[in-house]
Amino acid sequence: MKKTLIAAGFASALLGSTAMAQQIGVSMSRFDDNFLTVLRNGMEEYAAGLDGVDLQIEDAQDDVARQLDQINNFIASGVDAIIVNAVDTSATEAMSAAAEGAGVPLVYVNREPINVDTLPDNQAFVASNEIESGTLAAFEACKMLRAQGLGNGARGYMLMGQLSNQAAVQRSIDVRDILGTSMCNFITLIDEQTANWSRDEAQDLMTNWLSSGEEFHVVFSNNDEMAIGAIQALKAAGISMDDVVVTGVDATQDALVSMSQGDLDVTVFQDAAGQGSGSIEAAIALVNGEDVDQKVYIPFQLVTPANMADFMSAN
Amino acid sequence: MADQAAHGVGGLKYDHSKRQRPAELNVLIALFLIVAVFELLGFLIMDQSFLFDSAGRFDSIFNEQRLQIIILQVAIVGIIALGVTQVIITGGIDLSSGSIVGATAMIAMSFAQVAEVNGFPNPKGVFMEQGWVDLPVIVPIVVGLLCGLVAGGINGLLVGYTKIPPFIATLGMMVSARGVAKWWTEGQPVSFPTESYAAIGAGMNPVIIFLVLAILFHLVMRYTVYGKHTYAIGSNEAAARMSGINVQRHLVLVYTIAGVLAAVAAIVLSSKNLTAQSGMGVMYELDAIAMAVIGGISLQGGRGSIVGTVIGALIFGVIISGFTFLRLDAFYQEMVKGAIIVGAVVLDQYRQRKAAARA
Repeated sequence: MKKTLIAAGFASALLGSTAMAQQIGVSMSRFDDNFLTVLRNGMEEYAAGLDGVDLQIEDAQDDVARQLDQINNFIASGVDAIIVNAVDTSATEAMSAAAEGAGVPLVYVNREPINVDTLPDNQAFVASNEIESGTLAAFEACKMLRAQGLGNGARGYMLMGQLSNQAAVQRSIDVRDILGTSMCNFITLIDEQTANWSRDEAQDLMTNWLSSGEEFHVVFSNNDEMAIGAIQALKAAGISMDDVVVTGVDATQDALVSMSQGDLDVTVFQDAAGQGSGSIEAAIALVNGEDVDQKVYIPFQLVTPANMADFMSAN
Repeated sequence: MADQAAHGVGGLKYDHSKRQRPAELNVLIALFLIVAVFELLGFLIMDQSFLFDSAGRFDSIFNEQRLQIIILQVAIVGIIALGVTQVIITGGIDLSSGSIVGATAMIAMSFAQVAEVNGFPNPKGVFMEQGWVDLPVIVPIVVGLLCGLVAGGINGLLVGYTKIPPFIATLGMMVSARGVAKWWTEGQPVSFPTESYAAIGAGMNPVIIFLVLAILFHLVMRYTVYGKHTYAIGSNEAAARMSGINVQRHLVLVYTIAGVLAAVAAIVLSSKNLTAQSGMGVMYELDAIAMAVIGGISLQGGRGSIVGTVIGALIFGVIISGFTFLRLDAFYQEMVKGAIIVGAVVLDQYRQRKAAARA
């Protein structure tokens, strides 16, 4: 009896001390992704600057089941709020239900959950709107090709990200939509393939395309890594980077260096750190019962050689 | 009855009907058949030849660019497959090579970075504070090979001396080494290598490195004691032990070589891509195993050769290029790849049963 009392005393003392700080559990889809790492660092830096916010970040390793387990573990250990970067954007209903059942606020970050329009009151979504990213890049490429006097006909390839990923699907749709407009329908796609976001796969895929000997003027890529892979393949084949417009998305350091060397023509800045800090802001507001927009959009920004200096240390 | 008589007392007489085509020849025939299918489809669908220069773009009769990419895109996994082949011949398996690639690429690349990129300090510099930048190219190479040596050595010690199944030992290394890859820079990519490091994997160098290593290990497996012991252990470990082979020590050696070959692949890969990322090499172990299996290496151990694995790698390359050539989506490529892996083993089993029935 005495023992249980002591144990209970300990437990309440522990609970008391943690209740001082706000515990936020974060489940990231993966730790080894360049962009998501910047986002994660953005969260950590923002939280470190706040008084009494404690982050516990876990890696779901691209596994839907593991992610749901992590969320349930967060709930079981009594966190004040949960932030999820969903592995699979169509598997979020169970996560929303688990958090709602326990009354814990939940914020989705970066990837749009399928139930974004039916989220419970204490849940929110913070990201950039993918419709902007592909559109901004494709439209800029279209203008560049027109300026080069190719307005009567230009041909290109498209490198797509992982096809199970909503951003890859949306960015590809954006490009096709732009190519469907009357201003840009002079561009036709010879082929579109996935290179799984990877520089190495894109390099090999581009070389395979080159081996067919088709004439082309533009390469649209769903992210910067694949754009750089394509550029490496083009350069290895002795093609002048002045003759091909290459677009990416993300504005990574590697991409900006590539742009400064005159290789990459267009990229789009997605504010990873902004999304990270935005998600924490939203989570804290939800914990405090404040009014939060259920969809918080951090805008994309077009990056070209003209303004790239502004983004050099951003992502 | 007549057959028995023809064998003589010890059954040692040469019998033409019992002669088997070497497994490598079958794999080679399969390779040519697959090429022929793509060639045919190319003429039917694309109005272009798959391997030959139908548009007059090159000075030779072949589409040289395509021949190059077919082998270039499998050269790096092929280097891994050379080590995996030796492991499988001992009757073991190595699931860790992809993760060793990831960890080695990250660590080696950190010692190969330049101080300045376009006049700015390297934004991805790992050892900027220590001033370990612009180092001679030998440093990242030695560091990288050491990583492979240590990881492969641990695999070998676990398999040889603790007697845990190779599947488990290398599964452990697969998970741990991937952890190292992510921990090294907390997931940040490592980019901007020195020119001399970038030269390692430039152009067709990965292919040259792959082929030189393939020839080297072909000779080693065929003509040296090391090779004979490797086959002996895979055929019958107990018999190998009885005949005086130090099995434990030999297994450490085989797994260490596999680890070092994975490290070579990592150096070439990070150099070719001018970056190292912690997700590099995911699934490479399975591609390497598949190349070996398609090439006729038996997972029971004791059978197969480096030549088979090289042809297995070429079959992979032909399929990837063939599907891109036909502009078919990657899904179909994966489906066909899976079917070929299973098909190769089914055919091999059938051949073995037939051979056993004849003997």
